Amino acid sequence: MAEATHDYSKTKKTYTAVGIALFVFTSVTVALGLFPPFDFGPPGPTASDFVIGLAVATTKASLVALIFMHLNHERGLIYKLLLFTGVFALGLMVLTLFADMDPIREQYDTFKTTGGWLTNDRPE
Amino acid sequence: MEIPYEVTPRRDTGLYNAKLGVWLFLASEVMLFGGLFSAYVFLRLGVQDGVDNPWPWGVSVHKNFVWLGAINTLVLIASSVGVVFAWVALKERNWRRYQIYMYFVVACAVVFMCLKTVEYNSKLNHHHGIKLIDNSVMEGVILDKTDRVRFSAEKITFSLQAALPAVLRDLDSDEFPAFTVTDGPEGTVGTEIKTVSAFKSWFHENRGAFGEALAAERKRFRAETASGVANPKPVAVKGTATFTAGAAFALRGSPRKILGHDATTLNYRDGVKVEGKLISDDVIFEVHEVDMQLVLPQQQRESTVWKVINDEAAKQSFFTQQSKSYQDLVKYYEKRGEVVPEKMLRGRFLNVHYVHVAAEGHEGEEHGEKDKHAAVHASETVLTAGSTGGEGNHGPSRHLVVPRDQVKFMGNHGPRYGNYYAIYFTMTALHGLHVIGGALVLLFFVVFGKKLYLKNPEHLANRVEVGGLFWHFVDLVWIFLFPIMYLL
Repeated sequence: MAEATHDYSKTKKTYTAVGIALFVFTSVTVALGLFPPFDFGPPGPTASDFVIGLAVATTKASLVALIFMHLNHERGLIYKLLLFTGVFALGLMVLTLFADMDPIREQYDTFKTTGGWLTNDRPE
Repeated sequence: MEIPYEVTPRRDTGLYNAKLGVWLFLASEVMLFGGLFSAYVFLRLGVQDGVDNPWPWGVSVHKNFVWLGAINTLVLIASSVGVVFAWVALKERNWRRYQIYMYFVVACAVVFMCLKTVEYNSKLNHHHGIKLIDNSVMEGVILDKTDRVRFSAEKITFSLQAALPAVLRDLDSDEFPAFTVTDGPEGTVGTEIKTVSAFKSWFHENRGAFGEALAAERKRFRAETASGVANPKPVAVKGTATFTAGAAFALRGSPRKILGHDATTLNYRDGVKVEGKLISDDVIFEVHEVDMQLVLPQQQRESTVWKVINDEAAKQSFFTQQSKSYQDLVKYYEKRGEVVPEKMLRGRFLNVHYVHVAAEGHEGEEHGEKDKHAAVHASETVLTAGSTGGEGNHGPSRHLVVPRDQVKFMGNHGPRYGNYYAIYFTMTALHGLHVIGGALVLLFFVVFGKKLYLKNPEHLANRVEVGGLFWHFVDLVWIFLFPIMYLL
């Protein structure tokens, strides 16, 4: 049986640090969602919360991909493969832009701005 | 035959075979989940249109699940750390430590799935919602089977052409009411049927006979037409049967199987007609939260939901909370010298609030309503006698009587409740299957890995590395699922 050829103490430290970072980021995400002082932008769940929430998630995902999945040690081939995947996955997200081209929705929006849906009534 | 690059990586790519294979597989997985994330965005963009149940948001109903989701996130992260440490243990040739880490990972997977089960069970069995006809939504609990139409039946008419009548499953007690066939195929009138199994065999037998008779009739008709008989007798075979019970028996009609009902008849979708007397079709509901996202601001005070709730204090508390939220909004925008934009008035922040209806006797309540409530409860007691006992549902909240004609939609928080729940169950269930699959593979590597470890530990380390790649991917999907499903 071959013996260990490499010192892994530094690797282990990195993994521990990343694990702790992921725990911290998770707490940040929960705080963003649940506690008003951490609520960015207008009160309640809004676009700004989405941006920040997804930014935190992306950071966590990058940590997992780079360190745990060893992407930081990989060579070009994997990156090329992932580039293709990324482009197509992005394509799937771009598809959702069609939601804004919906003709029925356009009529609906026109109706909203002209007939009865816009109101200046405010809660007391 | 020796397969090249099975254990040692190729010099130019730095990859061994399995790793390249797993990365290709993960690329396809990205596309699979990518499609579902895209679907999520589509559904989310359509939320404001008001054709669907509104997107839930973290007050009472949803908030409990946030903690479950958060714990699950931590569990998955811990398991990911476990996998990389197991891999390092193999690299350091430490079998014992490898075993410990791998079993820890599998244990994490089990914990994750257990919490998921708790969550699914809670959504499917303990949380309900009712959307009223003006699109206001009450979240809470439908009390024991009161979404069903309670009926005191005497006579059942059904078709012999269809499947076994659904009404059999709606009979309220285990006792099958003894029936007499009062109308049906020739020679069967007057037959007594006393058990479910006797009914089933009677049904199948007569359905078979009906089919044969029908075939013979059709053959006769075709032959007469072919031989030029003028005005041949049309095909006619009696295809229905009517059963009459000795005494009235209780039925609880599942709402999804019923086409319609009135005071004396109940029509099932499968063609079964039940005659008798309607006991009650009111839904008894305990409300926890009111969602007004789909009701225009100027119509909220006159909403149907307040007529159903019929409690001034609860109504006041809703609008007090709304007013407070509105002040928060005003404060935020005033700081920036702006007015509150129109779309914020329609959002979740202003329009979803806790509502507690104090139990009977605590708050003023119209007398008539109280009587009706008592009457319904009396009939409930009759129906539940001997089965559940009907106790244990009485909390501090008053149980509302929701008239069925005020209900647009009701149900548990299963996939059909609304787009949120549909995409939630699709994505989390698919993710859950990945967790199970990944855990089984990792379990295999630790239970049956010793032989390979002794032969070529580097090979086993590679296997754990690629198994781990998949596991990290599963973690990565959850990292995105958690905020979009629970928090945002």
